[in-house]
Parts: sequence; structure tokens; C-alpha cells
Amino acid sequence: MSDPRENSGSTVAKGKVYPSPEAALADITQGATVLIGGFAGRGRPEGLLRALVSNGVDGLTCICQGAWPQSPEIMDVAELIANGQVRKLIAPLGFYSGSGGPVAAFWQSGEMDVETVPPGVLAERLRAGGAGLAGVFLPAAPSDRFLGGKEVRRFGDRDFVFESALRADFALLRAEEADTLGNLIYRGSQRNWNPVMAMAGRVSIAEVSLVHEPGGIDPEAVITPGIFVNRVVLQAD
Amino acid sequence: MTTPSRLDNQQMAQRVFQELRPGSAVALGSGLPGLVAGQARPGSQILFLSEGGGLGYQASAATAGQGQTVVDSGGQGVDLIPGGSMLSTIDVAALVRGGYAGVVVLQPAQVSAQGDFSHWTTAATPGLFSPGWAWDLANGPGRVIAIMGHTRADGSANIVSQCTLPVDGAGCVDIIITDVAVLRVGEEGLVLEEVAPGWQAGDVTAITGAPLILASNLREMSFEPVVAEPPNKVYSSGLAAIHDLPQGATIMIDGFAGLGGMPNYLMVALRDHGVGGLTLISNTAGVARVIGFGTPPGRLAIDHSILVDNHQIKKAVASFPVSPSPSRPSSFELALQRGEVEVEVVPQGTLAERIRAGAAGVAAFYTPTAAGTQLADGKETRVFDGKEYVLEEALRADFCLIRGYKADTLGNVVYKGTSRNFNSVMAPAARITIIEVDQVVEPGELDPEEIVTPGVYIDRIVLRPPDFLGYE
Repeated sequence: MSDPRENSGSTVAKGKVYPSPEAALADITQGATVLIGGFAGRGRPEGLLRALVSNGVDGLTCICQGAWPQSPEIMDVAELIANGQVRKLIAPLGFYSGSGGPVAAFWQSGEMDVETVPPGVLAERLRAGGAGLAGVFLPAAPSDRFLGGKEVRRFGDRDFVFESALRADFALLRAEEADTLGNLIYRGSQRNWNPVMAMAGRVSIAEVSLVHEPGGIDPEAVITPGIFVNRVVLQAD
Repeated sequence: MTTPSRLDNQQMAQRVFQELRPGSAVALGSGLPGLVAGQARPGSQILFLSEGGGLGYQASAATAGQGQTVVDSGGQGVDLIPGGSMLSTIDVAALVRGGYAGVVVLQPAQVSAQGDFSHWTTAATPGLFSPGWAWDLANGPGRVIAIMGHTRADGSANIVSQCTLPVDGAGCVDIIITDVAVLRVGEEGLVLEEVAPGWQAGDVTAITGAPLILASNLREMSFEPVVAEPPNKVYSSGLAAIHDLPQGATIMIDGFAGLGGMPNYLMVALRDHGVGGLTLISNTAGVARVIGFGTPPGRLAIDHSILVDNHQIKKAVASFPVSPSPSRPSSFELALQRGEVEVEVVPQGTLAERIRAGAAGVAAFYTPTAAGTQLADGKETRVFDGKEYVLEEALRADFCLIRGYKADTLGNVVYKGTSRNFNSVMAPAARITIIEVDQVVEPGELDPEEIVTPGVYIDRIVLRPPDFLGYE
């Protein structure tokens, strides 16, 4: 992959604005690691997920809050899994046992790994990746189930565990409004994972309800600066 | 003999609510804790925090699914209260790890006599064992309240000597509120402090899987909300706001370049307050006074130099400790040449990152900045993927003096232009943070989506007098 921080220069895109979710995802390759925003149905990039399903690329590692099969009309990470495209799911709450549907089935059959991570640790690892750090020392919890052989070191009067920085090939984001430079604002709980994933994605793609010309968003209100966003697609809610 | 009735979920939530005090953030996990937000009353100023990023919310007045844009930790729509604000997942994580959620409320499936717990979602995902946010909440610095059924549907105990389910946190739980009792996790074991109406201590002991110590003041649970006055954060003057800033304190004071973003009014108050031996963490150690930066001719900018000139500074940790112009040395520079002060030079991005780490409960981090330079001398370095990184440790302060544009009376802050700079990163990194603003407004007047620094990080607010000038 060429330098992902550069705009792709695609002939179909106008600057960062792509004509469709499919076009914005055209260069995703087998085995890619993908960050996907969303919490409890808010801030989930449904158009991009649909495009990823129709793209059919597989062997993906998906990092997200979780995959919850819901009603067929709601596009969720679960649909990607049901389509056999996900090799590994890294999530704080991958799915609920008993209502996991295809997610549980792929996990139980061994076709997909699920790694459980505390959301605060995952968020900090992504932030470190986005901020150019190699890793951070986070408080170690007593009898920590998530320690797994990581380095533990004492600072002051307590133990901390080394957590390495995390980046991903793609970040699929949902925001309310963007400008053509990729500056983003969110609405309510839509914000959730999206800002930190925008930082950590090598190619960050934001799906939004409205695209402004630069200057159309109050600069004091921008939450994700456009420098973190490589591609924008307009997609009605 | 009839079995006394158990509390319903609302009564349990009411009892939890009694534990909460106004003004601080209370993080609510998914499940039963979500009901606690329904107990909030207008003016109670308890700032509930959800995993969905709402800080300061209440149960929604609207029908579920009708237009709420904010969700609680269980995904239910809620309404922000006046003075509420929106956070992202990383902001929530930093707030919790940084200790700003003074109380967290969880629903364990099991709690042991030592306060170990297994979260209900861990119990609900056999083999996967996903505590979700509960792990972060329980292992953070906040006081942990468990709200849970005393027994399972089959009658087996949820309060046990040792957890049989995977432990999500050891020794985390401080108090357990169930549908029959209130238990405190003490050094010597579980202490039965309160029983539900109609219940005797023996009834509770009989359905508990661990020994209980009866509190000397064992009493019946009540459900009336405890009324407490929220703290008043608005101070009448700069001097009043910094009256208890002690000799030898470590202080953060913001500033970038000239007049934009420095708390000049609080700086003057600190000079008048007069304490010495201070360690100053800031971007510059005062260069605006010698460089000018837009100060009218014949006037001197009020910056950190006034504290140096008053012999209050012992040490500066700064990116620009000296003047960029050799012909116009700063007060700090001259004091350094006289051997009166110490200095630690920190690259600007590293300084911001160290302060952010201090705020977010991060002990240290590896940064590529300064690797292979004198600034890395004596520091641990390490190679990751062929690139050298320097280990840098977190910075915190006793007091932080910052400058904002508008604050509401809860301490929510918006900035204006460059004045944001170090202010927003320093605000959460001190024990006491004092902000000087141009306007103080009522809660609800600031757009919750645009609040940059949530009020939980601000302890004291001072209105910069309208006629106050940033130079003298």
C-alpha cells in the first residue's frame, strides 16, 4: 500500500470526497485490520459496512465495540461475520451468548477468533498509535485476566502494565457532518469510538449525513480534525 | 412463616442514589445501574457518566427510541441535563482512569467476601467472559458500588466466599446493595449494615454464601434521597480562589506566546498571595514580557516572569524556559544565570503528552521525540520496529491555573482560538484546577457538543474583571 496518509488521487474521488462507500473501500485487501466505530447502534458506519459486505474481502481482523446480530434491516459487524469475511474479532463485548447468532456460530466452529479487551485499554492503545507513541504503561489490576505475559513495572506506589500502541489499515467511521477537508462533528453518543479510531486508522473513512465546503463547520466545534480523515462519503442516516 | 418481600429494582436504585454526592461524576455500568440515573432530581447535580459518552444525563422524558441521541451504558436513550456534555470513548477512559469518576456502579453476577467480582456480562458469555466497561470501572480509582440480586432465580447465593465464575477484578467492590441488604466489604470480611424492611439479619445470613459480620448499628434500609448542596465553584476573586495554594507546590500555568491563553489575572493573584518554592510546569517560563507579542508600547505583559521576579519560582519544567532573543533575556533566564532557579527542558509535544498522561492515569509512554539528543540523556530508550523511543513519565500538579473563554457554573469550559493550547490538556492534570474566564454563564447555556473541558475537571472559577488588562 502506498503512503496511506496521502490522498489516493483516485480519479473517481473529488479530493477526499468519494462518490460511494464502495469507491471509498475499493482498495481494501484480504487480511486487512479494520477499526469500526459504533456503540449500542450509535455512530456505526452502516453504508461502509454494507459496502464491505458487497466487496467480499475476507480474512479481516475487526476491532470494534462488538458484533450484535439484530434485525435484518440493521447493518452491523455481525453481517460481515455471517458472510465469512472476519478471521478475528477484537472487542470489549464481542457478543452476548445466547443471542450471538452467526457471531457465536463462527466463534464456536473456530472459523473466527474472538479476543476480549477492556474498552479503556483498547482506546488508550489506539490513541497511542494515533499519537505516534510506541506504547503506554497503564494501571495493572490485581489478578488481571488480561495481563497475558505483558511487562509489568512499578511507577510510584503501584504496578503498571505495558500496552503497545495499536494502529489499523482502515478505520470506518460515522459522523454527523464533515467538510470536504474531512473535519468532523458528531451528534450525541454517535461520537463514541469514532474520534480515537480516526487517529489510529492508516486510511480513515468517514460516512456522514452532510458535507460542507471548508468553513461550513465552526472551527471551535470540530471534534476530529480533517488531518486524521482520508476519505469522506455522503450517506443519509 | 412467610418470606418477607424483596426490594424491587427501583428501590435498589434509590438506595444506591443515597450514596451519591453532588458535583462529581458517577459512572454507571450496564444493567441495573442504569436505573440509578432515573433517581436524579432537578438540581441534584450528580453527573452520571455512560459508556456511550454522556456526562451529566438523566432518564429520558421521551418515549424510548424517539429522537434521543445520547445513550446510557446499556444503550438506552437518555437526556443530557443542563450542564451535561458529550465525550468520546477515549475521553471516558481517561476520565475514569484519571480518578474523576468518584463512584462507579456495577452489576456483578457474583461478589466474594474479599470484594472480588464477576460481572453479569462475563457470566452471560461463557467461554468468552466479557466484562466490557465494568473492568475499566472496577479497576479504576473510584469507589465501587455493586447493585445486584442477593440470589439467583434458583435460590443459590450471589454473595459467596470465593467466586466460582471468572474474576473480573480482585478486591474491587466496596459496598454491595442487593434486594435484601446492604453489605460493606471490610478488612475482616462482609459486614451486614442494613436489611430490607421486614427482614431480619438471620434471613439474610441464610441466603448468603459467605459469613456475615453484623454491624453494631445494623438498621433497616431507607430510600429517601439524601439532600446535599452542590459545591459552589464560583469564587469572588483571584486571591480567594488561590488562598490555599501552599508554599512549595507544583503548579501548572498555561500560556502560548503572548496574551492569548494566559491566566494573567490569576498570575497577579498568585504574586500577591506570595508563596515561594514553587515548581512551575508550563510551556514558557515567561517570555511574553520581554518579547511583547502585541503588548502596547511602554507596557509589560503579565506573564510567569512576575512570579520569578517575586522570587516565588524554584524550578521550571518548560519547553521555552528562556527568551528566544539573546539581547532580551527573560527574568527566568537571568535567575537561572544567577543560580537561583532550576530548569528541566521538555520538548513541547512531550510536555503536552506527559501532562495528558498524568491526567489520564497513564504512568509513562515511549515517544520518538528527542531520541538520540541531549534531552534523552539519562532516560531509558528502547527500540520498537527499528525506531528508537524515549521513556517519558507522567506529570501532575497540585494546582493548575488556566484561562478559558466561557465557563458555566458547573465548570464546563469553552475556549477561543489559540487560547485553548495547553489549557485543555492541563485542566484535568491537577488536584485543584482554577480557571479564569471572560464570561460565567448558567448550566445549559453552552452547547454540550462544544464543551472542550467538562466541569468535573474544574474546581474553581474566577471571572476575569472586564477592565483587567493582560499587561501593566
